[in-house]
Amino acid sequence: MKTNSSVVSRRKILLGALNGAGILFLSGCEKLFNGLQQNKNFLSVLESAEGLNRRLLRFVTGKNRLAQEFGEREISRYFKQNGNPPPFTIEYMTDAKSGWTSWKLEVAGLVGKPASFTLDELKAMPARTQITRHDCVEGWSAIAKWKGAPLAEIAKKVEPQPNARYVVFYCMDTDDDGNSFYESIDLRDARHPQTILAYEMNDRPLPVEHGAPLRLRVETQLGYKMAKYIRRIEFVADFKKIAQEKGGYWEDRGYEWYAGI
Amino acid sequence: MSSLTYRHNPITRLTHWVNTIALAVLFMSGLMIFNAYPHLHWGSKAEPDEAFFSIYTVNEEGDIRAYTELYGLRVETTGVLGLQNTEMGPAPRAFPSWITIPGFYWLAGGRRWHFFFAWLFVLNGLVYFIYNRANGHVSKFILKPRDTRIVIPMMLYYLRLRKDSPQDGEYNPLQKLAYTSVFFILTPFIIASGLAMSPQLNVAFNWLPAMFGGRQSARSIHFLLTFFFAFFTFGHVLMVVTTGVFNNMRSMISGWYREKSLTVEELQDSRVKYKDDAQPVNAETLQPPKLEALKP
Repeated sequence: MKTNSSVVSRRKILLGALNGAGILFLSGCEKLFNGLQQNKNFLSVLESAEGLNRRLLRFVTGKNRLAQEFGEREISRYFKQNGNPPPFTIEYMTDAKSGWTSWKLEVAGLVGKPASFTLDELKAMPARTQITRHDCVEGWSAIAKWKGAPLAEIAKKVEPQPNARYVVFYCMDTDDDGNSFYESIDLRDARHPQTILAYEMNDRPLPVEHGAPLRLRVETQLGYKMAKYIRRIEFVADFKKIAQEKGGYWEDRGYEWYAGI
Repeated sequence: MSSLTYRHNPITRLTHWVNTIALAVLFMSGLMIFNAYPHLHWGSKAEPDEAFFSIYTVNEEGDIRAYTELYGLRVETTGVLGLQNTEMGPAPRAFPSWITIPGFYWLAGGRRWHFFFAWLFVLNGLVYFIYNRANGHVSKFILKPRDTRIVIPMMLYYLRLRKDSPQDGEYNPLQKLAYTSVFFILTPFIIASGLAMSPQLNVAFNWLPAMFGGRQSARSIHFLLTFFFAFFTFGHVLMVVTTGVFNNMRSMISGWYREKSLTVEELQDSRVKYKDDAQPVNAETLQPPKLEALKP
């Protein structure tokens, strides 16, 4: 009996100690994790998962398989407007008022035939219409119908050079500090059949809050890759000398360049 | 009177602790990711008015209050969920910073942690499983059809409604049930529901989100299964604590577990219990059987 009671009291002391240690441990953890988060070497270890994800997921999915397409009835009633506010510059307003007749999409960089396209020229190209799900990095999804010119068609017209690896989209929207939005994808995703430059959403001209006059749809990746308010496209070999050289506005702020997960 | 027995092989011990870290980081970074959109939906899309679970704040005439809502059932959770009191004043945040990684709002960072430790969790789990499958340990804790008959008797035994333990083998049927469901139901489903959220896998594997009822359903299931893991871990740690922290910790760190030997009185008592055994009972034969494991 004597041993039993001493065991119980020891257990109580122990539980109390564990409880106290737990609280200390948690606040210590918070500091530890936040410290690690700011350590560049540690962060680069964490970032190594991105390459693994890209290789594995692309390997198992193959090149030209299609993302799920939905029926008209599944189109979302509400589609959140995310990211920067629309560009309220005089130039943008004037272009919008003109019905985008003064707006042109420039395509340049490492291409054989640099070109520019008016919205009517883009609409005259073979179009693709798809009802797809938009997956935001935040976690929500929304379904809409998109119509646009396949990026593969535009690539065919401008003839990318062999050293071109990425397509960079320069946009007209900026954040509160005046940083311009830009994004990039590689030629593999650029040539995916569902990768389009959309000018219509749900059978109507692309609304201003969703990127008028032209936005990217790349159904293999998350929403933040899908540049809105596109003005210029450039084929490049790497991201040197482009903003902070990570390949996109969100990438410059820590997000993965490969947003397939 | 006691003796040390060798309980856990080095691979089990190593993978156990790696798994502890991986699960903790996955849980905490997962809550950070959830904080970016603290609502849950069923189906493919997220119509704001159709969320079945939400954590949100309401500005009630300058007084900010947080609520957690499940199927219309609303509970005020100011200071716990939805609104955290910080040194800088109240901050809207679904799960408080002390339980998330990073401990401040940074979705990009949370994702980095989550995906790195998801790889660690899977690869580490494979090492454990392959090694212990090969040495025959896994088959000791898998629930087999014949075990199902003694699940209820085992419960009755623990509820003190039955005198003898129906246990047959190293693990009792309730342990087998718990381990089997964690290994073969919970783990595959939490991995699959996580992968079902990937837009890349949605290309080619349309059935992956569909098998959960859509991408938002997969997200909700991924979140809910997390708490089954947390529940299992809670039970696991509770048992570790109540059956001797030091001894259990020692066995999971060094491999050695102190087995209590029976006294002569207890041996004689057990003779009654095992009277069907033809063998005479003596201290030699009733030494803990696991001593055999000592042999290399």
